[in-house]
Amino acid sequence: MTIQRLLVSVVDDDESVRESLPDLLKEFGFDARTFSSAQEFLNSDCVGKTQCLILDVAMPGMSGPDLQRELKIRRQEIPIVFIKARRDENIRPRLLEEGAVECLVKPFSDTALLEALNAALRVN
Amino acid sequence: MATDEITWSEQLYRIFEFEPGLRITLERIATRVHPDDLHTLGEMVDRARRDAGDLHYEHRLLMRDGSVKYLHLLAHGAIDNDGGSVYTGAVQDVTKRRHAEESLVQARSELAQATRVTSLGVLTASIAHEVSQALAGIVTNASTCARMLATEPPNIEGARETVRRTIRDGNRASEVITRLRDLFRGRDLVVESVDLTETTQEVIALTLSELQRNRVILRPELDDKLPAVLADRVQLQQVILNLLRNASDAMVDIEDRSRELLIKTEPDGDDHVRLTVKDVGGGFVPQDMDKLFEAFHTTKKEGMGIGLSVSRSIIERHNGRLWATLNDGPGATFSFSIPCRPASVGAGDPVAIRTATAMDFHQVVRSL
Repeated sequence: MTIQRLLVSVVDDDESVRESLPDLLKEFGFDARTFSSAQEFLNSDCVGKTQCLILDVAMPGMSGPDLQRELKIRRQEIPIVFIKARRDENIRPRLLEEGAVECLVKPFSDTALLEALNAALRVN
Repeated sequence: MATDEITWSEQLYRIFEFEPGLRITLERIATRVHPDDLHTLGEMVDRARRDAGDLHYEHRLLMRDGSVKYLHLLAHGAIDNDGGSVYTGAVQDVTKRRHAEESLVQARSELAQATRVTSLGVLTASIAHEVSQALAGIVTNASTCARMLATEPPNIEGARETVRRTIRDGNRASEVITRLRDLFRGRDLVVESVDLTETTQEVIALTLSELQRNRVILRPELDDKLPAVLADRVQLQQVILNLLRNASDAMVDIEDRSRELLIKTEPDGDDHVRLTVKDVGGGFVPQDMDKLFEAFHTTKKEGMGIGLSVSRSIIERHNGRLWATLNDGPGATFSFSIPCRPASVGAGDPVAIRTATAMDFHQVVRSL
């Protein structure tokens, strides 16, 4: 009998994030899927199965916050951990207000990510 | 001139706002000349007494009501029968024209500043973005690696893969920095036969109004019989412009002596030409000699510290040398010397010019 692992989906246009995060997430004991755009994620069969979403803030096309709003409209209550490359724009409070669990600045430590994921899954 | 006898037209009395018929002396003229331009008057008189050469000057008057007038003076010198010099000339009130020019210069410098600030902002954002992406990869891969090695049994294969990615991302970050440096350095040279003196004159013509505004007295000593060099004219102009601006900037706070700037071109040995720019500014700390040419080293409030570093790269690409020395008196001297026919730059292979722009930079980092 196999234990179903929790699915964490990563949406980021940066390839090195999509390449490196799944291995770390698997080390944490999660199942991981990656998407290079918000649209790709919305079109996938993972929306209903994703227990936590790791979401880049700034992406070409639909941005991270855009996807957050879209999921709300679709009544898909997936806990979101935002990740962003730039420290200077302080959008963290607004994102948290909109319901995000955490907003981490790249590069972030593995423990910070794990804490955020644990918090997200408790929300779930 | 020996008698200092001065005859004025009515118009000139009006410009200077003197009672018509008042006896005009140099001292009386000096009471109207703008204090900052008295040196120009002194220089003009010295020059006239010395060699009766033609005069061509611009200076300002400070009127009693505090207003400022700009005068343009043109005078032709001749030797009279007694061996003294006689000057005949015209003085023009060019205040309106100068005000128009100044607002143009102002607009131009604001534009240049805005462009620089914008491109700096774009650059900083791009660097931060690209480097932090790579760093994110490094940190995540290294964390994963540590966890893979901590399991029992350790996941050697996985660890090896994450280390490989860590190295790759580290190189990627370092490549961003290298490309940034290359970009500032500019790339291809477009070589043609260049007369260094002519090129210098072109740059002087471009900067003259700026130098005058900064009350810099430019003393050109240009050799008009220099051998031609094979060089990239535009890039050499950038270097000369940079050295002139630096010299002028270095003297901006100098009040106790006239802000003299010597620019000289001359042959250097049989097969080199040399350009020297000498100022009487604050000079530099001798220990900082090496740092002067480093990128992002600056002593200016608004400088990026790019100019000298780029200048040196350009000169080195011409197989030449750019160096700085401290003067015996106040100030510093910057010189470069380039070979007339650099070994590695052939006239037969002109290559496309590339000018670094923020847009270019963005494409460069994006293409990594």
